[in-house]
Amino acid sequence: MNTLRIFFRTCWFQYRAMFNWATPIGYLSYKFLQPIGQILFFTELGIFATGRSNALYFALGNALQLTAINGIFGVVMSVGNERQFGTLPILLGSPANRLVTFLGRAFVHVIDGIAGVAVGLALALVMFQIDLSHANLGLLAICVCIISLSTAGLGLMFGSLSLIMRDVFVIANGVYYLLLVFCGINIPVSRLPEWAQLISTGLPLTRGVQATREVVSGAGLAQVSGLLAGELAIGLVYALIGYSMFRWLEHQARRGGLQEAY
Amino acid sequence: MTAYVRAAARAFEMSMKLRAVNPFTNFGWLVFPLIFVVLGLALLGGGGKSAYAILGGGLLGYWGMAYVEGGNEIQNERWSGTLEQIMGCPTPLVVIVVGKLCSSLVFGALSFFPAIAVGYFAFHQSVQNIDPVPFAVSFLVLTFAFFCMAVTLAPLYAMWRWAFSVTNGFEIGVYVLGGFMFPISQLPAWLQVVASVFAPTWAVRALYAATGQPFGRQYALWWAVSIALSCGYLVIGWFLYRLVDVRARATGQLALA
Repeated sequence: MNTLRIFFRTCWFQYRAMFNWATPIGYLSYKFLQPIGQILFFTELGIFATGRSNALYFALGNALQLTAINGIFGVVMSVGNERQFGTLPILLGSPANRLVTFLGRAFVHVIDGIAGVAVGLALALVMFQIDLSHANLGLLAICVCIISLSTAGLGLMFGSLSLIMRDVFVIANGVYYLLLVFCGINIPVSRLPEWAQLISTGLPLTRGVQATREVVSGAGLAQVSGLLAGELAIGLVYALIGYSMFRWLEHQARRGGLQEAY
Repeated sequence: MTAYVRAAARAFEMSMKLRAVNPFTNFGWLVFPLIFVVLGLALLGGGGKSAYAILGGGLLGYWGMAYVEGGNEIQNERWSGTLEQIMGCPTPLVVIVVGKLCSSLVFGALSFFPAIAVGYFAFHQSVQNIDPVPFAVSFLVLTFAFFCMAVTLAPLYAMWRWAFSVTNGFEIGVYVLGGFMFPISQLPAWLQVVASVFAPTWAVRALYAATGQPFGRQYALWWAVSIALSCGYLVIGWFLYRLVDVRARATGQLALA
């Protein structure tokens, strides 16, 4: 019971700390202005490059990638801010369960990431009339949940690096934009060079976005279950690597008294 | 006047030094344009459209440095607890902002180097058919437009900390309105109207026209509109700086705004 209490309190407080200071206007700008800008820019760029008939490809891909605002920026900064605000030694000194504290950094961002994709899909629907008439909406929702989870897994891994890096926001930015290149958001994975395809298979979003595209085209669970299982597994692997790194770096920091010295 | 120039020069010098060792700045001018050039060239391919990918990547970096980094500087002063000292000192805020923004523009202009380099070495693409004089003038007009927009936006960052979140959130939207990587003529009509009050849009159109894009050659008109709009921003900015000054003193909540 105590563990659950810590989990939910961690979730709630880190989320408030992340967004509440900026007032609801700041939060809403990331929830609406950024999705509008991203979907509009990349879809219009795609239309300029390939014609209006491909608008759905770009609009859908970018709507799904919006989960990375939470999964990457949100989660990485949730861990990274502890260092910036000087609370990292207190966190590391607390007796709280590390796994619970660690996963608590991501939980609300997963929920908020799902909400972000819902906003993105609604905007894509309004701005570019994407056709969801063939889609199984329940399955589409499952795809979005899994994408949000797997992206947060990657965010947790990079968030762990904040224990030894001062400018983790740079990493979050880089990862966010590289996902736009490698994950089949704007460029089909099959059109990437072989080395880039290899990278894309190891990233979250790649399989999830492909599965979602198939679901929107009318595919059922049986056709996309393999992709979704792979997406979930990728996210889990990243989260595990992140947790292991977090524990190892914490151990190193404790031994050397280096919590804020990197 | 000499004192103001000296203060702006010191702000510029300090800002240059801080930016040179700031990983986020170096990401902004070096890595960020690269990602967009790669994306742009992968989508647009060779031929006449490659100019949009190469120059477009540079423009994104330039704009990002000018206004996001410019705004971030004010936000950083707030985080560092030095915003009140800047507002309280005898030198007007605008003088400090001008110094900082000049440094942003210098780093922003560097964005074109990695953009051109990756286009040439990785994709064997370059910007061709450049009409040098209109291109150079258009670039100067664009720089003036970026400068004026950033100067005008800066007091908003000082007045409300959420202002940076809003402008940062809409950063990619600005790429659309500016026509940085595709012509705005393909946008819906209502969005073209919005884009037309955006000073950089006209300068960017002139810039691309100078690389052979089929926009016509009405350079003088485009430059004039861009400069007129930029001057209009400065007038708005003058009122905003006065408002910030009065408001900060009246409420005493600058750091918490």
